Amino acid sequence: MSSHAVVIEGLRKKFPSPSGLGEFTVIDSLSLHVALGSFASIVGPSGCGKSTLLNIIAGIEPHEAGQVHIAAQDGANTAARIGYVFQSPRLLNWLTVEDNIKFALEAQGIGRAVWNERVKKYLDMVGLAGQDRNFPLNLSGGMQQRVAIARALAIEPDILLMDEPFSHLDEITARKMRVDLMRILERARPTILFVTHSLREAVFLSEEVYMMSVRPARIFKHLRVDIPRPREPEDPRLFDLEKALVKEFFAVLEQDYR
Amino acid sequence: MNKHVALRCLSILFFLAVWWAAALFSTPEILPGPFAIGKTIVSNFTTPGPEDKTAGFHIAITLARIFFTFSVAMLLGIAFGLTMGLKRKAELAFGYLIPVALTIPTLLAVFLCVMWFGFSEAGGLFAVIMTVTPFVTVNMLAGTKALDKELVDMARAFKANRRLTIRKVLIWQLMPYIFSAFRYAFGMTWKIVALAETFGLKYGIGYMFTFWFEQFDMVQVMAWIILFVALMLILEHGVIARLEEKIFAWRPVHAL
Repeated sequence: MSSHAVVIEGLRKKFPSPSGLGEFTVIDSLSLHVALGSFASIVGPSGCGKSTLLNIIAGIEPHEAGQVHIAAQDGANTAARIGYVFQSPRLLNWLTVEDNIKFALEAQGIGRAVWNERVKKYLDMVGLAGQDRNFPLNLSGGMQQRVAIARALAIEPDILLMDEPFSHLDEITARKMRVDLMRILERARPTILFVTHSLREAVFLSEEVYMMSVRPARIFKHLRVDIPRPREPEDPRLFDLEKALVKEFFAVLEQDYR
Repeated sequence: MNKHVALRCLSILFFLAVWWAAALFSTPEILPGPFAIGKTIVSNFTTPGPEDKTAGFHIAITLARIFFTFSVAMLLGIAFGLTMGLKRKAELAFGYLIPVALTIPTLLAVFLCVMWFGFSEAGGLFAVIMTVTPFVTVNMLAGTKALDKELVDMARAFKANRRLTIRKVLIWQLMPYIFSAFRYAFGMTWKIVALAETFGLKYGIGYMFTFWFEQFDMVQVMAWIILFVALMLILEHGVIARLEEKIFAWRPVHAL
């Protein structure tokens, strides 16, 4: 157990159905073991409950059954720090970039003495040095998402949750952000749980890929991507892997939707 | 910015010119000219009028009443609005009363309070608070409905405690609503304080309206009206507009 950052066993989550009558099960008997320090992606179609899963791990949504255990990197007894990058930046637009990051630091109870140093370090890391006094609404969508990444990294999390963080960006910006993320993670290395609906994105970024089916969500395949990093987005091995996985996905989905 | 100031000055000058020209074709009993009014205003400040009080005294009394009732109504309205907005039970219990509170005619409220409290300070002030508070409440209630759940979830994901969440996430989202309530309540307070002074309260600008109306002195009635308007403009542009500029500095200019 100790070599795992995230251990989920038999997770079940229900939502009240839209009609108001009864409930439907979004996630059922889902189990997941993410190795410490690993970059793991969860791939699944829209609406399969991927975001819900991250919210449960982050502790902002309750679940009905099962166990969720998150381990701190440095040992068993401290509570694990969780950083979260959402689909949209979710910045506090009335605070400067710097104060947005300090918000997370304050929320996590991190001592004031290190705030300035952390802000500088992580803004540098995401390529936004010198933007500390700017307001979010003066930044482009891509830059806002970089602030959100800096905010999540600045608390120096044991585990970093990322919920389709590049899906709101145009493809060129998203592509640059993916490459930059790889570079950033050479320096800051939490365990990462990355949710996406894009197999291409998943195989490019991850060391482990979990494939998720719908209604209710469960993991039907787990594989390791053994292509060494740094990877090139055009690496033919990535394309081959993606093609094979897409095929498999459709086979499973066809059964699900039947 | 300087261009705006110049435009405004021009518009004031234009208004004064039209007034002056119109007064030429009229009599001082119907429409006194700007110079006569100006002279009267100045002399009202320098020489004591009825009750041996100068204009400065009446202005101070009116401003004190406005400041007091406005502050109380804002605080009550914000408290009621937030309670109803954040506690579903409170809204279910009291929400249906808001339209009632909003639609009671102001004049009726003033009369009611005079009957309850007599022609006393307390009665007049109570009437103002009673009519202004519901408007603030409605604005704050609307503000709580517009709170962004995604940002609240973000705060929870980073484990922000209640105090930090209120201070950095909620208050700022409510700020535009607090401000629009602020402006609305401010305008209402002016009108209703003047009304209450006209009907029941001793001293103040509204009291002077009635006093000179009963003497049928058009020059004095207009002098006090102009003074009232000028005071309001100064407060609005000198204080409120500046405060607003400061608080909303984070919004890009083109969004304003």
